[in-house]
Amino acid sequence: MLARSSRRYLLGHPWLTALSILGVALGVAVSVAVDLANASALRAFALSGEAVTGRATHQVVGGPGGVPDTLVAPLALAAEAAPVVEGNVRAAADSSVVLGVLGVDPLAEAAFRPFLGGPGDGGIDPALFLTIPGATVLSAQTAGDLGVETGDTLGLRVDGRRVAAPVVGVLTPDDDRSASALQNLLLVDVATAQEWFRTPGRLTRIDLRLPDDATTALARIEPMLPAGVGVRPSSSQAGTLETMTAAFRLNLQALSLLALVVGVFLIYNTVTFAVVQRRQTLGTFRALGVTRGETFRLVLGEALVVGVVGTALGVALGVLLGSGLVRLVTQTVTDLYFVVRVRELDVSAWSLAKGAALGLGATLLGALRPGWEAASTAPASALRRSSQEDALASGAGRLALAGLAGMALGALVLRIPGGVALAYVGLLLVLLGGALTVPWLTRLYARAVRPLAGWLLGPVGRMAARGITTSLSRTAVAVAALSVAVASTVGVSTMVTSFRATVVEWLGSVLQADVYVSPPATVFRRGGAILDSSLVADLSALPGVADVDAVRVRTLDTEWGPIDLVAVRLDERRADLYRYIQGSRADALGAVQAGVLVSEPFASRTGLGAGDRVTIPTDGGPRTLPIAAVYTDYGNDLGVVQMDEALFRRLYRDPGPSGLALTAAPGVAPADLVAAARTRAEGRQQVAVRSNRELREASLEVFDRTFVVTSVLRLLAVGVAFVGVLSALMALQLERRRELAMLRAQGLTPGELRATVLTQTVLMGLWAGLLAVPLGLALAAVLVFVVNVRSFGWTLAFVVSPSVLVGAVGLAVVAAVLAGLYPAWAMGRADPALALRDA
Amino acid sequence: MHRLLFLVPLLALAACDDAAETVRATVSVAQAMSGDTTGYARADRVRPFAFPADHGPHPDFKTEWWYVTGSLDATDGSGRTFGVQLTVFRSALSPDTTARTSAWATRQLYMAHVAIGDIGAGRFYDEERFARGAAGLAGATASPMRAWLGPVEIAQAGPLGPDGRVSLRLRGTAEGAAVDLVARPEKPLVLQGDRGLSQKGAGAGNASYYYAQSRMATTGTITVPGGEAVPVQGFTWLDREWSTSALAPGQVGWDWFALHLDDGRDLMVYQLRRADGTKDPLSDASLIAPDGTKTRLDAAAFSLTPEATWTSPLGGEYPIRWRVRVPSQGLDLEVRAAMPDQELDATVRYWEGRVSVAGSATGSGFLEMTGYADGGSSGARASAVPE
Repeated sequence: MLARSSRRYLLGHPWLTALSILGVALGVAVSVAVDLANASALRAFALSGEAVTGRATHQVVGGPGGVPDTLVAPLALAAEAAPVVEGNVRAAADSSVVLGVLGVDPLAEAAFRPFLGGPGDGGIDPALFLTIPGATVLSAQTAGDLGVETGDTLGLRVDGRRVAAPVVGVLTPDDDRSASALQNLLLVDVATAQEWFRTPGRLTRIDLRLPDDATTALARIEPMLPAGVGVRPSSSQAGTLETMTAAFRLNLQALSLLALVVGVFLIYNTVTFAVVQRRQTLGTFRALGVTRGETFRLVLGEALVVGVVGTALGVALGVLLGSGLVRLVTQTVTDLYFVVRVRELDVSAWSLAKGAALGLGATLLGALRPGWEAASTAPASALRRSSQEDALASGAGRLALAGLAGMALGALVLRIPGGVALAYVGLLLVLLGGALTVPWLTRLYARAVRPLAGWLLGPVGRMAARGITTSLSRTAVAVAALSVAVASTVGVSTMVTSFRATVVEWLGSVLQADVYVSPPATVFRRGGAILDSSLVADLSALPGVADVDAVRVRTLDTEWGPIDLVAVRLDERRADLYRYIQGSRADALGAVQAGVLVSEPFASRTGLGAGDRVTIPTDGGPRTLPIAAVYTDYGNDLGVVQMDEALFRRLYRDPGPSGLALTAAPGVAPADLVAAARTRAEGRQQVAVRSNRELREASLEVFDRTFVVTSVLRLLAVGVAFVGVLSALMALQLERRRELAMLRAQGLTPGELRATVLTQTVLMGLWAGLLAVPLGLALAAVLVFVVNVRSFGWTLAFVVSPSVLVGAVGLAVVAAVLAGLYPAWAMGRADPALALRDA
Repeated sequence: MHRLLFLVPLLALAACDDAAETVRATVSVAQAMSGDTTGYARADRVRPFAFPADHGPHPDFKTEWWYVTGSLDATDGSGRTFGVQLTVFRSALSPDTTARTSAWATRQLYMAHVAIGDIGAGRFYDEERFARGAAGLAGATASPMRAWLGPVEIAQAGPLGPDGRVSLRLRGTAEGAAVDLVARPEKPLVLQGDRGLSQKGAGAGNASYYYAQSRMATTGTITVPGGEAVPVQGFTWLDREWSTSALAPGQVGWDWFALHLDDGRDLMVYQLRRADGTKDPLSDASLIAPDGTKTRLDAAAFSLTPEATWTSPLGGEYPIRWRVRVPSQGLDLEVRAAMPDQELDATVRYWEGRVSVAGSATGSGFLEMTGYADGGSSGARASAVPE
């Protein structure tokens, strides 16, 4: 009987049931999608690492200049050793296609990367691979993607220079994992790789295979290594990639949870409605001897049906969404950190299970209170509809107090120095605390707005305002859900606006030259590609150039992960560009001889500051240098160590600058200089010649691109909230059918009725929007001052954009109006007599 | 001479690890390696040999080897006996000599085979290695004479003799066993075939340049895994050969003997076996007198008759007892494998190991047999047929 009652109820309200399911589905979908994208990204790192690390147990590594290749022969006598030259190239036909290059010695490879000789009709043929310059082997999948087969020649650009890569073999790995690991990877001979990357005599590293107890072997190997070259276990690469992106991924995860939080509100709302809607039926059941436990289970069971269907849909939707998201995530990682070759969605059962558990858990959580309420009300009072409203009305004050306490606790948690995860806990507490104050605030609001609404719209307005208070249990939840969703929009938008404004200002101060020349880097924010030395000379000698600044970027492998080393001419003009957080311009200039400047993210990640000493790898072994100053830098969250170019040349091998900044002489138009530089580079190395404005725009474009994921997630959260508001308002208005029918019977016209319903939803939307503003700004403050600092070490200016705030309120109102349309239409059309009888 | 057949299938298989079947040759490889000799130097005429230059590599020829085999006995009174094979092969992958900037760029591929047979213990250690002839990984020089690949090394160990002969330091490891020997030639250099030009197949250029140090008094140590270094002495034999030869069709394998007779004579004899089981008329032999005088013997002058066989656990049946007859020299020898299993499980499987000699003369020596193994032979056979 109970189950039948449930079924009749759920099927009897198809719209509400569908909306609840949709709400749960969206919430689950977003978390599943983000989780899948993150898990896929991690798997991609692992696979990329696996392909290039292979079965090596140890690696011989050096400074940013790599290791001398003459070490291989002696090492090969002591252990299995294989030379590796790694790099990235672009397809000449489509410069958006970035490919990894693994330069190997196929004769030393069998023990390291068995997939090089996988079964199938391919494999590496040394006769061709070793002797044909540029000879390339790739996986069948990659060959298919690039549209080449054995015998074709692939056109590539290495640091903007054109090279030809004859395809001499196609590998068909026998398992999916190897196939994935080889995605977008070109295998070439060590000689070809050295020639392409112009690193004769140097290797990225030497892979070793040592026995399980490597002590004896290491004791033999270590004395063979020159200064600046060392052995390390090879397991660390995937770990490094994970560390580099940890903050980025955590922030994504947190955003996805936001969608779920809104989803919980939604479920709570739906279930509450279901309970209130059937208080009579439930009361009758209770009077007929149905126990509390059975009532509780009935309510929970209904919620679970919605939850299961919603979760199932959500998981499916999440997989779809995830495949789009994984591209965005890997693109962002490629823009910011390193080239991610593997870009496919890995649907792991674990991610799906987590999503399902989250969906069902959220459903149960949302249903708990209404279920408990349905069960604990005495049979007699359950029959009375207003009982719950009374309870909530008196409880609103207490809830508000609890909310305040929650926000205070959140603020306290945020003050605890700690990780990003803790910051998000604090943020959640603030958000939930804010939501709890909504009923009380809403009651105040309804009272305050009643005279105004009355004055504006007459009885219809007064009635609409009063309706908010009388159905506070429903209206408050709807308002809370909408305001949490809109607040998250405000918060995230404000954070992005603040970030962008800071970056714009920073770019303006550091980009002072007129023309910037650099080879296309495979990772936008990092650079490192080398300019042809003849081109450097020619460009520097262009007429109209008053000053030339060369910048050299190298990646240092440090105990804190990869750090960029930037070498510039550290003169007075350069020192003027920076804003110093620790130390001063004078300190910075004092570092020219033997010191470094570090960026704010570096200081924040390492805990080092001005006056400390930092040990960095150089091509002559580790060197400890004093930190003269800490400066702001928004270009690189991994951290930057900066030194004078003379010091750089003393410590590192110098293959040449990775970028040139030209300053036009007085009277020379920068545009003319850009044109002249482009002409000079024509037909030689492919380089980007950009004016100051163009570089600024390109930087901001990448900045914006990296926040696409954020925007997508934010919109999804709003989508969930919108569904929530729609269902809450619909439920609310449907529930008031009897009351409204009464009004109709008393002479209210359908038009007036519609106006009442619409006015009420608009008032609620407006209120939700208004509440979202302070809540959103609080959220933004947490994101800017706590999360960003902890994740990336960036201090941002707090910039509130009025358009974001107005937009947020507008969004809430529009959502509310849209949500009110159907109930208003339905109410107006309903036959009052029928409605009265039915209800 | 015969060993050059290896290099053909080997190139296609070089990238694979111990399981030869994990990689299959591409069609292009088969085509590339099917005896295309365009662009290479050929052994098409008798030429004067010059030392030390000819001890070093001849990179314009397609294939070349430094090949040492020998029989060694313990001098510690233990009575242990060993067979040792130490080989460095060079193979040009392309005749293209375009200069490249990377020191790793090379067209020379090196391969080394080391085999150490511990006869008394019935153990046979063998290892195959590949490396490019660059970056110090492998290579060869003329002065001092040296051919090496990683731990495998055949290197000059004394001043050049008047006729160009050299003492050699021989080092190599295989599956944890190691040899370290010094070999001193007791006879002058021998130019095999016609003044060093050894015809392999019909037609000019289907030949190799071939010289040997047939008898080298050798001392040193052999270490087997988990054992001490055993002092040894005995005789070893150096073969040097380079060519750009396509082999005659229909040759399926060969049997090659290098025997040190106790009376001071050295006998080198080989037969090329054709598909119908007959001996190719280009089979050849030479007998080197104690004073170094060489007597050349053609295919009609000798006969090789198998008398007993051994079946390899990996497949294939090898003759391990032979009747070697050279009537014109009064030789009727019974040659027996010192132990049956001296098969190298290399990319192309073959049998090469120590033998003992009885009959009209006594002694010891080395025997090489190819084309008998089921798996490997098909590759060798197929490649012996130019397409």
